[in-house]
Amino acid sequence: MKYKLAIIPVIIFPLILIFLLIGLGKDPTIVPSPLIGKNIPTFSSKDLISNEPITNNDLLGQYSLLNVWASWCPACYDEHDHLMNLSEKLSIPIYGLNYKDNFKDATTWLSLYGNPYEKIIFDFDGMIGIEFGVYGAPETFILDHKGTILYKHIGAINQEFINNKLLPIINNEFE
Amino acid sequence: MIISEVGNVLLSFATAFSAVTTLSFFFKNYYSHSYIFGLSRFFTLTSFFIILFSFILLSYAFLTDNFSILYVANNSNITLPDIYKFSATWGAHEGSMLLWVLILSFWTLLVAFFSDSLPKVISINMLSIMNFIILAFLTFIIFTSNPFDTIFPAPENGNDLNPLLQDPGLIIHPPLLYFGYVGTSIPFAFAVAILFNEEVKPKWISWLRKWVTLTWFFLTAGISLGSWWAYHELGWGGWWFWDPVENASFMPWLILTALIHSLIISEKRNIFLSWSIFLSILAFSLSLLGTFLVRSGILVSVHAFANDPERGIYILTFLSVIIGFSLILYMIKSNRLTDTNDFTFNSKEFVLLINNILLTIITFAILLGTLYPLIASTLDLGKISVGPPYFNYISTFLFLPMILLMSPAVFMAWKKNNLKKIIKPLTSMFILSLILAFIVTWLFYEIRYLIVLISLAFAIFAILSSIFKIYENIKIHSKIKSLYKRLININFSIVSNSFAHIGIGVLVIGITISNYFSLEKEILMKPGDSTMISNVEIIFNGIKKEKEQNYSSKVGVFYSYKNDVYQLTYLPEKRIYNVQKNVMTEAAISSSLARDIYIALGEEVSSEQWSVRIYYKPLIQFIWLGVLFMLFSTFFVFFDKRKTLKK
Repeated sequence: MKYKLAIIPVIIFPLILIFLLIGLGKDPTIVPSPLIGKNIPTFSSKDLISNEPITNNDLLGQYSLLNVWASWCPACYDEHDHLMNLSEKLSIPIYGLNYKDNFKDATTWLSLYGNPYEKIIFDFDGMIGIEFGVYGAPETFILDHKGTILYKHIGAINQEFINNKLLPIINNEFE
Repeated sequence: MIISEVGNVLLSFATAFSAVTTLSFFFKNYYSHSYIFGLSRFFTLTSFFIILFSFILLSYAFLTDNFSILYVANNSNITLPDIYKFSATWGAHEGSMLLWVLILSFWTLLVAFFSDSLPKVISINMLSIMNFIILAFLTFIIFTSNPFDTIFPAPENGNDLNPLLQDPGLIIHPPLLYFGYVGTSIPFAFAVAILFNEEVKPKWISWLRKWVTLTWFFLTAGISLGSWWAYHELGWGGWWFWDPVENASFMPWLILTALIHSLIISEKRNIFLSWSIFLSILAFSLSLLGTFLVRSGILVSVHAFANDPERGIYILTFLSVIIGFSLILYMIKSNRLTDTNDFTFNSKEFVLLINNILLTIITFAILLGTLYPLIASTLDLGKISVGPPYFNYISTFLFLPMILLMSPAVFMAWKKNNLKKIIKPLTSMFILSLILAFIVTWLFYEIRYLIVLISLAFAIFAILSSIFKIYENIKIHSKIKSLYKRLININFSIVSNSFAHIGIGVLVIGITISNYFSLEKEILMKPGDSTMISNVEIIFNGIKKEKEQNYSSKVGVFYSYKNDVYQLTYLPEKRIYNVQKNVMTEAAISSSLARDIYIALGEEVSSEQWSVRIYYKPLIQFIWLGVLFMLFSTFFVFFDKRKTLKK
């Protein structure tokens, strides 16, 4: 009788192992976004720098990047060099979504490290971020000219994202 | 450069010594056992000092700002205060694995020198198994996480230690936790050695129980210090978050708690032996699993340091070999242990068995909840996190019956219990507890939730019954005149479990009241604004700026008034660390037994207007007070002399 009971852990353990092994191959930061393939939500806010009104319609017309950032977010600092680089080299505009931040910190941060953004949506209470399904800054969306979300990257931008996702999508468009 | 080479040589030597000691398992029968044991003991000692020296070397590299070592360059900075340069030694993955091995090596050393009550053959096997674990982790360090890797050219300055870790809590929290985590390798090695030996004596169980208690002490201290740290220093606003990493330490704790109780039965009644052996294997397996979860970055967690699949694969391979092997060994051999399991339902051992089953069920429920995101994403159920509601729900409904059972368990007798004798004191104490719980809630809080009354009553019941048990124990000996003899005659096992159960009771009271009667305010304040929380008025005076060696900060100045009388000044901070530009929130907390008031600065929303979080948390300090009782209780275990009952 006891022999039989002792088999249970021997059976359960490999099951757990399988899940661990499969989980290991996956990146826990990849969260599927239900918004992919859909249009960006409607919003209206103000531009952080110019203080002029900005709405979802301002993001239409051409392919673009939408980068969610905040001055309080350390990973945003990490990806900033990439963004500065992209803003020089890419032919498409980069928009910023300044997420749960305040005016003073955000503008100081930009003057310290440079401003790669064409326009910046000021989202101090994070309500627009919620509409976009933002988990936390930084996040980056690739949008097409109709405002459809083509891809969403969670976490700091890295070379892998630029080479394997961003550039192929853009090159595809211009060919 | 020289440090790196010496460090690598040291690690290789330690690996060699552990490998040789591991082999003693196979060669022990070719020579006399005492000769092999002496050799193993010597090698264990040598390998411990080599690992200790490599650890000191790494600390030295930190203290001398040796940025040619990659690990130092990544985790230190010239401006970092010396104490944090030292604690940075185990601040990130590589160094913390080295600390892990150092502590494992220390436990092995203790087993080598304090196992005289075990037969030599068991000791040799235990040392061999523990050295095998050291060997595995040393090779892991050398090949995937070498802290002595160099960087060329050496940077001028380092990348700084993660500001979250620039805190006195970090100096002591991981080492304590690791002592507990790694200590589970002792019952594990014992279990495997016993399975090979196919025989076990109560005296050996008694030896093991003391080590398990010591391990439990460290794990309890480590976990509670972590929660204390998160609450007091990190300003997380709570003390437990059901984060995967917290769960990873809580699961071995639950199993160790079960093991302590099951070892008591095994020692006293010579039954449930194979169950105790199984729990021993389980405790260590869960510790290893915890290490894997933390180190592989497989789950998203506030503690995640590294996300490196290669490291994950290594630990997973090792984990499957050692756990798989021990489980199969258990399956084949456990039925050969003399295990009669004769017990009646009306006995202490039966109640303890129920407690064991409940603890094991809770552990598996937590394991399921922790791994659920993995299972869900593998089976394409979408990425779902189970989250605190699930854990709170299961723990409430599984812990409560256990707490209720604690009181009768203390009073029941072994083998055959006389129900008539205990039913009267127990019922009267239970009714008294119900009344007390009602009065306390009615006077100080609100009668709103039935669950609050129930858990308060159970907790008070546990406390009352434990106090009564101590009183009874002292009263028996009241006829003895000499104070010394009276002290000698005290049954320390009763004192010990009473203290532990009082601790649990106090803890449950703290959790319940702080959980259900906390007040929270999140408001915007300008200098001069005031707000009321409970019966205390908080006035915001303004912000002052300060500069320290490694960060600059904005400090909010708040005054508290009670009935228009000034009480305290609160100075919550917002810090910006110079090197990594990280922002850290330092909450200001005033603690007293009755309540904590907790103020944290949010963001400066517009000029001079700040968002401010103010919490009022009644009885939250009871949580750590309860833990202190539990920690204190382990002290007595080292004095108790249990006698095994005759069949």
